[in-house]
Amino acid sequence: MKRTFDTGNAAITEGAIRAGCSLFAGYPITPATEIAENMSRRLPQVGGYYLQAEDENAALHICNGGAIGGLKAMTATSGPGFILFADAFGWAVSSEVPVVIVNSQRVGPVSGITGAPGQGEFYLSRYLTHGGNFETIVLAPSSVQEAFRLTVRAFYLAERFRTPVIVLADQMVTDGWETLELPESEAEFTAMGLEVVPRRIHPGPEFYPASDAIDIPPVVLGHNTGAACSDWTPTDRGHDTEDVTWQHKHAWRLIHKIRNHRELIDEAEEWFLDDDPDVILVAYGTPSRVVQSAVRAARREGLRVGGIRLISLWPFQDRMFSRTATYLTVELNWDGQLVREVQRAAAAGSSVHFWGRCGELPSSGELLETVQKLLKNEPLERDGWRTEKW
Amino acid sequence: MSDLLEKYVRPEKNPGTACKGCGLRLAHRRVLEAIDELGLGQGDVVWGTGIGCSGRQTFVTWKGDTFAGTHGRVYAMATGLRLALPPEKRLILTVGDGDAFTIGFLHLLNAARRNVDMTVVVFDNLGYQSTGGQYGVTTPLGSRTDSSPYGAWEPNWTQGGFDVLRILKEAGATFLARHTVLQGHEPVESLKRAIRNPGFSLVQLIYPCVTHYGVQALGTRDPAAIYDWFRERTAGLIEGDPGDRFTTGILHDASGSRVEFSAAMRDFVASVQKGERHV
Ligand code: SF4
Repeated sequence: MKRTFDTGNAAITEGAIRAGCSLFAGYPITPATEIAENMSRRLPQVGGYYLQAEDENAALHICNGGAIGGLKAMTATSGPGFILFADAFGWAVSSEVPVVIVNSQRVGPVSGITGAPGQGEFYLSRYLTHGGNFETIVLAPSSVQEAFRLTVRAFYLAERFRTPVIVLADQMVTDGWETLELPESEAEFTAMGLEVVPRRIHPGPEFYPASDAIDIPPVVLGHNTGAACSDWTPTDRGHDTEDVTWQHKHAWRLIHKIRNHRELIDEAEEWFLDDDPDVILVAYGTPSRVVQSAVRAARREGLRVGGIRLISLWPFQDRMFSRTATYLTVELNWDGQLVREVQRAAAAGSSVHFWGRCGELPSSGELLETVQKLLKNEPLERDGWRTEKW
Repeated sequence: MSDLLEKYVRPEKNPGTACKGCGLRLAHRRVLEAIDELGLGQGDVVWGTGIGCSGRQTFVTWKGDTFAGTHGRVYAMATGLRLALPPEKRLILTVGDGDAFTIGFLHLLNAARRNVDMTVVVFDNLGYQSTGGQYGVTTPLGSRTDSSPYGAWEPNWTQGGFDVLRILKEAGATFLARHTVLQGHEPVESLKRAIRNPGFSLVQLIYPCVTHYGVQALGTRDPAAIYDWFRERTAGLIEGDPGDRFTTGILHDASGSRVEFSAAMRDFVASVQKGERHV
């Protein structure tokens, strides 16, 4: 094992390379630029291709093009570039193309604050394109080491599910420096629980079966298999159709190939949930690290407080909220995004609250104070813009 | 001709989606003729399309491998695909004038800049016809369309001293030609050269739309009358302002003069791997 001290950007780069990524197309954007820079140095060393696209829309389309030629491809960006993926993301979802997308979330909307962490794309990552009729896989690292692991995993899931997989990080994860352990052998790689699925080639002719099966090779062009993929609703052979029955079959596959195999995707971490705590804090990404400290601090004070860290965000893990409790989501946004899903998923009789901020993390003390208020049934709202009632 | 269709076109996709009397089928056929005359088989070509009349007519007609991109992005996709394909595979894209020259123009320019080996065949029906007939950047000035009921007046890219192909030449394209589909074998010869060029080629093939352009701009749906109008306007290469004529011919042939993008990429990567380049 090679032990280094490095950034999340470097961890994502090394994860991609170890997962067999051989094409990266991107466009410089703070705070994801260093992923592109690292890729430009590392990819040619391992025989891969780096290129700089004319915009993010092109970047993901170039990745899609490489992917249907048989390459494992990745792009990385932040909010203003992420929104430009809508077009190409939809194409990859519908054509069932494995590709990996990293988003280092910063503060929005639009250009917002470039070098500070945000969590404004929780829902956008679920619906990164128009039209509905699909399910999405989104993974959220909270440390440099985990950024490495989840990047490898994103490639793994992309191949097995034939779909784009999003790594939804934040500026602190990608820019942050931490200890990073990199496997130096197959054995070490496997011992870390990591796996690689090589690109396979669909032999045809039923490229788009009306089934929820996974592990179907993707469409790969250039092998004269009669491969066909497009933005149109496909028949099983990939021909364009306007028939609503085919459309239903296709949508059913896009949704249920993921929902019916969610055990391969679902991942979460729990803290002190065994004694049915009164208050459960919920977070993903960097804020979950403060949540973990706050939960520990609460326990030291004898408070029955637990925590949930979501590692896979979509499909949403409703099962994690089956306890009737007081939930508090902690998010890097002011509008409350994760909290809406928790409200929907929480067991009957639960109450769900939101603690939000943008650009900087909460302190463990602030969270503890909020927890104490919740325990005393005191209202959380404060006056004005500081922490308005949600 | 039916031999060609049998050889290359999926039977369930024949005769395609174009309106009766439309020049689009002829345009499609010109590409197949070029492929045939070059002796290429179904496994030698990967065929991509955009959307609109041209995309609907040509997508998944090719018996070999085929794809359709989102509107205007197929040049970016083809750039990634080119890196994955063996160099000998020919990559042919059949797209519309809106796809290439408006919504996708940024990507087209960058594909030309990189000199990515692809042949873009622009099936130009002089505007947006699949949406019912709106003017575009190749619509002759003065044309009445559903979105220019007083006559098209926004500057276009084919008149008033502009030529979209000249922009592409400056951007680095290595083969550029323009024809109408009514020019017999001429377009086929240009298409052959375009496909052979190991770099970025574009052939603009203007064809008559009977359903919308014919009716709205020319006041007739009669193919014979519309085709006559086309023939009258068609000219060879003209120095200076061609007025409202279609200037046709090979505008630029620098085949093989620039290093092709995927070849350059492979060389670059090999040199890094051999330790010939350092950071
Ligand atoms: S709308 Fe016009 S261009 Fe399109 S297929 Fe019909 S006749 Fe041809």
